[in-house]
Amino acid sequence: MGTLTDTEEFLQLIQENKRIIFKICNSYCHNKSDREDLAQEIIYQLWKSGNSFNADHKFSTWMYRIALNTAISFYRKEKRSGSVVSLGEHVVDIKDDDDGADALQSNINLLQKFINELKELDRALMILYLEEKSYGEIAEILGITETNVATKISRNKEKLKQKFLTSNH
Amino acid sequence: MELKNLWKEYDRRIEEAKTINLKTFEFLQTQKAKSKLNALSTFKKWVIFAGILWIAFLVFLIVNSLAISKIYFVLSLSAIVIFNIIAVAVYIKHVILIHEIDNSESLIEAQQKTAELQASTLQITRILFLQTPFYSTFFWSQGMINSNPTAFFLISVPVALLFCFASFWLYRNINYKNVDKKWFKILFGSSEWTSVVKAIQFMKEIEDFKRESM
Repeated sequence: MGTLTDTEEFLQLIQENKRIIFKICNSYCHNKSDREDLAQEIIYQLWKSGNSFNADHKFSTWMYRIALNTAISFYRKEKRSGSVVSLGEHVVDIKDDDDGADALQSNINLLQKFINELKELDRALMILYLEEKSYGEIAEILGITETNVATKISRNKEKLKQKFLTSNH
Repeated sequence: MELKNLWKEYDRRIEEAKTINLKTFEFLQTQKAKSKLNALSTFKKWVIFAGILWIAFLVFLIVNSLAISKIYFVLSLSAIVIFNIIAVAVYIKHVILIHEIDNSESLIEAQQKTAELQASTLQITRILFLQTPFYSTFFWSQGMINSNPTAFFLISVPVALLFCFASFWLYRNINYKNVDKKWFKILFGSSEWTSVVKAIQFMKEIEDFKRESM
């Protein structure tokens, strides 16, 4: 596969990666309408950038870069404007979170909340860490050194753990 | 519970709920979906259009005033036109750069370019400040100087020199390094500058993020 210009192939890749798209949307947007707009924007940007995908590179690095760059730009734009203007009919439906009452769901909600509280770039870093990407790939996606990745992950993990401890007291 | 295990559980629940339902992809080919992120360049294109109209108007005035008796008017407006042409050219360059931003670059590269372009309005502003002295000279005339030379040299010339000094000082000092200075906050404190100031702050965040921390 040279580029991602084939629609069927592209749709297949989106279906395979829908969970990460959802998690990125959830980490950068607070309400359903924003999340749907962002998901649409990410898919649009992935499609638009299809020609830039080079089979010599890892697909996930390319996809994470586009999805996270789009999410950060979208988040910063929405935060500036303070309101969301719908583009019309949404082509992507994202259901609201399952607000199940079990302890696990409540911990998942807390983790999402604490990640949302991190700065934009730290948020991207922690999503990639939790997605079990190697330090090398995280460094490549973000554009910083592996040493820097390791230091920042350690600090953010500590921050998240402290927040969990505080919230459980 | 370990953070990664919690994240995996989150992943599993998303899969179960099939939370993303992609209705149709026709929009990808028919371009029904317009990117929301193009708004920045759309705004800049309007500014370029307005800038060209303003320059055309000034040129019209110059062409219709070409006479030795209106030398101060013609020279002042010509200087204003030059600064406006430079500003419009810089704006055009920025629009081209906005279209060249590649989301498949690393986050640091792409976000730095985006933030720099958002903050670039500041660059244009400092260039435009250089034209202000000419707004205090365009109404000068030989008749005005001859009829009251004292007032001209004691009031008009010092005012023009003051504008020269102020505009040059602003040109030198309006930059990202001074964003926390009190005078900067007063000058750029209004809401229309919020996005520029936030972009500058984000550039600082990016620099901090890039820095190897021990």
